[in-house]
Amino acid sequence: MAINTGVNETGSSSLFLPEVATLIDKREMTDVDSFFTFKLKNRPLGHRYGQFVELSIPGIGEAPFSISSPPTDDHTFEMVIRKVGQVTAAIHSLSPGDVVGIRGPFGTSFPMEDLKGSSLLFVTGGIGLVPARSAILYALNNRGAYKDITILFGCRDPGQRLFTDELAAWSTREDITFMETVDKCEDGTWDGHVGVITTLFPNLKAIDPTDTYAIIVGPPVMYKFVIMSLHDMEISDKRIIVSLERNMKCGVGKCGHCQINNLYVCQDGPVFYYDDIKLLKEAI
Amino acid sequence: MDNVTISKKDFLDFVEKKIQEGDSKVIGVVGKGSSYVFDRLESSSRLCLDYDVTILPPKKYFQPPREVLLRFITKKADSYITENANEPLTIIGIHYYDLAAISLMDRAFSEGNRDENYLKKRENSLLIGMYPTQAFKYRFAGSVVKGVQPYKAADLMLADMGDGNYTVEIVTEKGRAYLSSAVQKPFTYSLEELENAKKRIKDDQKIPVPIEMSPDFLVKNHGHPVWEVFGEKCYSCGSCVLVCPTCYCFDVLDEVDLDLKNGKRIRVWDGCMLENFATCAGGHNFRKTKAARFRHRIFRKGVNLPLKYNYYGCVGCGRCAHACTSSIAGPVKVLTYIQDNQ
Repeated sequence: MAINTGVNETGSSSLFLPEVATLIDKREMTDVDSFFTFKLKNRPLGHRYGQFVELSIPGIGEAPFSISSPPTDDHTFEMVIRKVGQVTAAIHSLSPGDVVGIRGPFGTSFPMEDLKGSSLLFVTGGIGLVPARSAILYALNNRGAYKDITILFGCRDPGQRLFTDELAAWSTREDITFMETVDKCEDGTWDGHVGVITTLFPNLKAIDPTDTYAIIVGPPVMYKFVIMSLHDMEISDKRIIVSLERNMKCGVGKCGHCQINNLYVCQDGPVFYYDDIKLLKEAI
Repeated sequence: MDNVTISKKDFLDFVEKKIQEGDSKVIGVVGKGSSYVFDRLESSSRLCLDYDVTILPPKKYFQPPREVLLRFITKKADSYITENANEPLTIIGIHYYDLAAISLMDRAFSEGNRDENYLKKRENSLLIGMYPTQAFKYRFAGSVVKGVQPYKAADLMLADMGDGNYTVEIVTEKGRAYLSSAVQKPFTYSLEELENAKKRIKDDQKIPVPIEMSPDFLVKNHGHPVWEVFGEKCYSCGSCVLVCPTCYCFDVLDEVDLDLKNGKRIRVWDGCMLENFATCAGGHNFRKTKAARFRHRIFRKGVNLPLKYNYYGCVGCGRCAHACTSSIAGPVKVLTYIQDNQ
């Protein structure tokens, strides 16, 4: 089974010319993360689950951001953007109605169609929930197409939790398993599980390793430990799907910043079957 | 491929005529201090084809160190307009290994997504290559550039016959048309004499591992101490990638004009040996150590590009070895160290 690949259509003659998108909605999620809804002016974005766009504000700069929503009927697309630098600070200062530049969508996607009929185990950490959410929402919207759905989410502390309304709704659904954890909580505001995400694994009910696909998205440090836990559960590398973070500066496979050996994460990834990259020494 | 003979004097007269005609900007090799550079020719008298190596390869004409991609009005995302500055260009005297490098760049910028900013400049160019007439102590091109690779980029190819004449190999029809107004003599040398003229200068260095075996050799030595030993001495200055004819990585930046109203998105040369090349938002650096960056550069040349494009990413020009302040960058030195320390 292969991850969807192919040359990305940018819809313009220059690889670097953005299209105009309008900010539709914006709300704060944490001290540093805000949720944004955008819509392209002239066409639906046409993205798949787990892809990313290059978003720019002229004079400030351009940066890659994961799309957090599955394709929608109203052609809007959602992102959660963490304020860490100049570009993201400028995006945080936007108001609904403001316009930004968008290039993309770029990259490979979670093969949600191919996974139908199997069980899904999402293992998400921190802001990794953002791209994973596009696949999670698709799976939940098409609940009947999958067997068991398990979602694990971990973050540094309770203040870092994203999509809290949705997490609450997932935790009460009876047709899925949802568990979350925080690495630490020192102010007593959390009465849930505490520990890194792999400490949730012993609490999982039995998973059929021959019929489950694991989807992992999280900070770089998380992958190795999660994959070791999945190996303990006898899930094979062919059933482990990862989305990797790199500095995807140009998005079109030229600038070199996102290279892992001969792969360009912006084009060959960010979504990979672990089996395809496990021998690349710098991947995980 | 046809061959013709042109005397050196007639060739210079021809170049002068082309400069005066002004149909295309004429670039050639000229002296600069004790070195050589590619620069615009206002007169053929400045042209110096008897050179060892240029400081920078001619890639600067196709991927300029600083290139405007877009113009805009600050903070107005509906104001972006593309820019693709290019003009007809003739470049004279490109050594064969630099042509091989251009043929790799052509591939990198056309495969998958076509990068028109690069490709338009290439389409608008005519390249006149040549074989070296001076030795360069770091050069090992003869042991890595094989076959027709240089001819994939050249329009015309000069070989100094050592008797006041050039043999000109006519590689493309575009080259033939360009040359039509030159005073040409029939080609009366034997093919053996031509081959000897091409190989007149023997390289001072040779790659210690046959280039075809370098991917396996390097992969096998991924964990070799060489990366730590050499990486330790690296200043992360980026000189090696700056002067490399096959390095094309870039950064994209916004620049606001002094009026704070208008601005441009530019791309500038960047390089994997610089400390923060692989750093992501939030600060995680995927190649944090000098050893990891040093290995990446060599693997990029010897393993990754061959895997991706079926080309070796090194053409043996020796510029990196020459430019390196720590004397560690040259692939010959790296591979020799690995071989000597098995």
